[in-house]
Amino acid sequence: MSALETLLLVLAIFGVLTGLSVIVLSLIWLERKFLGRMQMRMGPMHVGPFGLLQPVADAVKLMAKEDLLSSLVDRVVYWVAPLAVFVPTFMIWVTIPVARDLVIRNLDMGLFYIIAFSVLSIVGLVTAGWASSNKYAVLGGFRAAAQLVSYEIPLILAVLGVAMLAQSMNLEEVVNSQSTVVYALVQPLGLVIFFIAGLAELGRTPFDIHPAESEVVGGPFVEYSGAHWAVFFLAEYINTFAIAALTVLLFLGGWLFPGISGDVSALGVLVFLVKTYLVILVVFWIRGTYPRLRIDQLMSLGWKVLVPLALVNVVITASYMFYGWSAWSLSLMSLAILGAAIWGLSKRMRTAPTPEYTVKLYVPAPEASNAG
Amino acid sequence: MTLHDLYLLSPELSLASLGMVVIILDMVLRRKGVLAAVSVVGLLAPLAFSISLWGDLSGEPDGQMVGIFNTLVVDKFSLFFKFLVMGIVALVVMSSVEYVSRLRQFQGEYYGLMLFSASGMMLLAATTDLISTYVALELTTLPLVALAAFLRDSRSTEAGIKFLLLSAMSSAVLLYGMTLTYGFTGTTQLVEIFERLGASLDATVPFGSHALFLGVIMIVAGFGFKIAAVPFQMWVPDVYEGAPTPITAYLSVASKAAGFAIILRVFYIGFGEISLDWAALFAVLSAVSMTVGNLVAIAQKNIKRMLAYSTIAHAGFLMVGVASIAARVPVGETTLGPSGVLFYLVAYAVTNLAAFFAIIAISNRTGSDMISSFAGMGRRAPFLAIILAFAIVSLLGIPPTAGFMGKLYMFSAAMKSDLAWLVVVGVVNSAISAYYYLKVIRVMYMVDPEGEEKIHVAYAPQAALYITALGILALGIFPGPLMTVAEKAVAVLFR
Amino acid sequence: MLPLDIAFWVMAAVGVATALAVVMEKDIFRAALFLVVSFLVVAGIFVLLNAEFLAMVQVLVYVGAISILIIFAIMLTRNAHEGNPFNSFQLPALVLSTMMLAAIAFVAVNTEWHDWDQLGLQVLPGDSGEVFSATEQGIKNVFGNTTQVIARLLMRDFVLPMEAASVVLLAAVIGALALVRENEGEA
Repeated sequence: MSALETLLLVLAIFGVLTGLSVIVLSLIWLERKFLGRMQMRMGPMHVGPFGLLQPVADAVKLMAKEDLLSSLVDRVVYWVAPLAVFVPTFMIWVTIPVARDLVIRNLDMGLFYIIAFSVLSIVGLVTAGWASSNKYAVLGGFRAAAQLVSYEIPLILAVLGVAMLAQSMNLEEVVNSQSTVVYALVQPLGLVIFFIAGLAELGRTPFDIHPAESEVVGGPFVEYSGAHWAVFFLAEYINTFAIAALTVLLFLGGWLFPGISGDVSALGVLVFLVKTYLVILVVFWIRGTYPRLRIDQLMSLGWKVLVPLALVNVVITASYMFYGWSAWSLSLMSLAILGAAIWGLSKRMRTAPTPEYTVKLYVPAPEASNAG
Repeated sequence: MTLHDLYLLSPELSLASLGMVVIILDMVLRRKGVLAAVSVVGLLAPLAFSISLWGDLSGEPDGQMVGIFNTLVVDKFSLFFKFLVMGIVALVVMSSVEYVSRLRQFQGEYYGLMLFSASGMMLLAATTDLISTYVALELTTLPLVALAAFLRDSRSTEAGIKFLLLSAMSSAVLLYGMTLTYGFTGTTQLVEIFERLGASLDATVPFGSHALFLGVIMIVAGFGFKIAAVPFQMWVPDVYEGAPTPITAYLSVASKAAGFAIILRVFYIGFGEISLDWAALFAVLSAVSMTVGNLVAIAQKNIKRMLAYSTIAHAGFLMVGVASIAARVPVGETTLGPSGVLFYLVAYAVTNLAAFFAIIAISNRTGSDMISSFAGMGRRAPFLAIILAFAIVSLLGIPPTAGFMGKLYMFSAAMKSDLAWLVVVGVVNSAISAYYYLKVIRVMYMVDPEGEEKIHVAYAPQAALYITALGILALGIFPGPLMTVAEKAVAVLFR
Repeated sequence: MLPLDIAFWVMAAVGVATALAVVMEKDIFRAALFLVVSFLVVAGIFVLLNAEFLAMVQVLVYVGAISILIIFAIMLTRNAHEGNPFNSFQLPALVLSTMMLAAIAFVAVNTEWHDWDQLGLQVLPGDSGEVFSATEQGIKNVFGNTTQVIARLLMRDFVLPMEAASVVLLAAVIGALALVRENEGEA
């Protein structure tokens, strides 16, 4: 690698970092505005025109805030945790293209790389929970680990379906293979699974179990304040953007749009960004609409619904590929299964009585007197 | 991968499916008593497939059918072990009926795990490549770990945890040995390992190469764990004592049989070129195992612990056959070592199962595994006592029992391989073992019973007892037919 | 020294240091975190060996799944804060591991390793225009597209152990479920 290439690489990384920060600021503004409109409010209005500078003000406030530290925390681990969350979040952007050839490194195993590194941030969350020496934080850490590990499986299986269709794990090739028809139409089931599992991976409503304010008062982040809390916050929004971007790249054709030549980079980026922001608006819309799931509902949705559906998705994709059926047959199968699943779930939700839960506390059994 | 490949794998496949069927039936059925019957009757499927495969073998010129990209072989050697494992499973299931009926839940899982483990053992005897061997070994061991801890009292849990940790440890050692072998030969196929070793050994170094030296020792250590040879025996007494007794019986015979199956195949086929080196290793391990096992057994007061040390000693006796590699002896007499191992394994299986079944039946009533609680069983349970005594005589190796014939074959194989010192060690050890074996018989017949209540045995365990006792007697008087089959089975090891 | 060499030595040093830290650290939670770093470094070494696929699997399986489970187990352990009780076997363990290290180092240095590449690497016939020796071609075939080679090995040549592994996992799951069953009282 020559010196020039290295320099370019470093510049590219800084470029992505800056770009992501700007995007995060825009997302914060967008979320507040959008939620405000949904709740018949105006949202932020005072700082800058239409409140556009509100996120900047927030950021300044966070940076200026005192970094409080409980005397019980395990300091090193406590400070490492935000980094352990943020670094992998940023690292997956190495291989996410925003337009044709506009990517830091176009890895042949891009999809696999993204999946592998997005898992890493779980370690950070759990570590944050543990290091805080706070009951709520530990509980939040537990919840995060259980939830994220569970939803990792359908997420990976949904991505696998796309990789099978595209016959590649290179994101550019995945996008290029959608030039005739986007995978959202070929594999609607896969899209739904990916989106739901993605929401759960983000820990956003209705899956915000681990930071749930009303239950574990912020979960793993409860003790963090100031800049360190801001790092978690930043990571969460970058992740939201990443999941939306992946949805666009894997299922919605990326920077491709009928009638727009993908060769012009700037136009490609624009198409990509518009699509991604639309997906993000859906995420915000869901946040404004649905209540949070209970933890048992969350786990049973993951293991009893999404994992089997994702497996079925892989199986039908495999048989479609193997027997060379026409593309619409996969769409039909996918839609039929999706419809059946939704119908079954809604019927069950309407008819099933609310279960009664007994909470069992762990009481160590008295030592049996073993004389023998 | 063709249909024929699946046919070659059909015994294992049908056995594993049987395990799943039993578990599913457990969810559906109300009457759990059916599960044991299903497990035994269902064994007919793998049995039928194995018989059919045995029949097909006669049409093969080299006596074997290789399938699934050379990772699986069907020959008389692997089929011999399939029959043995199926027989053991059937008997153990029959003897478990009473024991398992005390569990309120998870009876299906008990039988299912046992069947999974059995399918692993069958696969283990049929693999010809180190990776498949390792996976099959794990399939054999992991269900047994769960079964050892199945009772969930403190003893059983301790047994499970010890078994889990030490088997993971031994797997690591085994894998390291396999890695070194792979690094040296560049292949995991046993036949190819043999061919490449022939071309690349250095006669001035023990085992032909330093890497192979370390590799073979580690593989021996890994397998030595499974067959409970000293010094890899630390887990045996605690696991045998804590595990449910039928599982202990199963562990002591089936796990050992599978272990010896893979030892014979890996060392005779893969490492045939350096047989003199590892034969010496096995001879030493054999002598140590016999001696340690028998000496420590003397001090035991719990009959399961005593049999645990006895099983270590028997692993020593069995290794005499492995060590009696007759590579330098003319063909024709060569098979006595390995075929003797096969015979001994069957003999040991019927003998040890008979002993354990009698113990299960007795301690189900007395609720104790101590040798002292067997007092007066000659009067309280004459049928059980006579079978237990007979099994102990066979373990000791007195004619006319299977155990005697087994030891006879072992020692004559050793004599032919110039291992007279090992024979001496073996005979001395048999004498030592008489002390603690006969103690049990003495307690049963010479000591007054604690109660007068007679002990009755349910139908299925009784049948298992009859079968095993008959087996001991039959093999002791007519060893010829089984020995002929065993010689045919090990023929594939010498090519 | 090439940059790759430097990268290797840095990773090797970090790998050994963190592995040692896993054993020596008294706080078991920190030990688990060191384990995570150690796993990551191993993944890095895989990348240096051109085995990117394996590196990703290492990250996904070891860091993403196994260490999370370990951390989970630690968090569920009572008295986890008391840490690793002082181990009276430290000296024997040191002696044993030093001996093991010596044995492996001795073997690695003194063995005449054979070059089986011509046989081992003929996995996929390549059709590049350049002329290579059999070994070079083999290396190119394998490391040019590790994913395909691994897929071929896993789904074809070693399909039996792979499928058997699924039965192992099934048995492990069933066994685990049977062991965590609710207390049934004495029946």
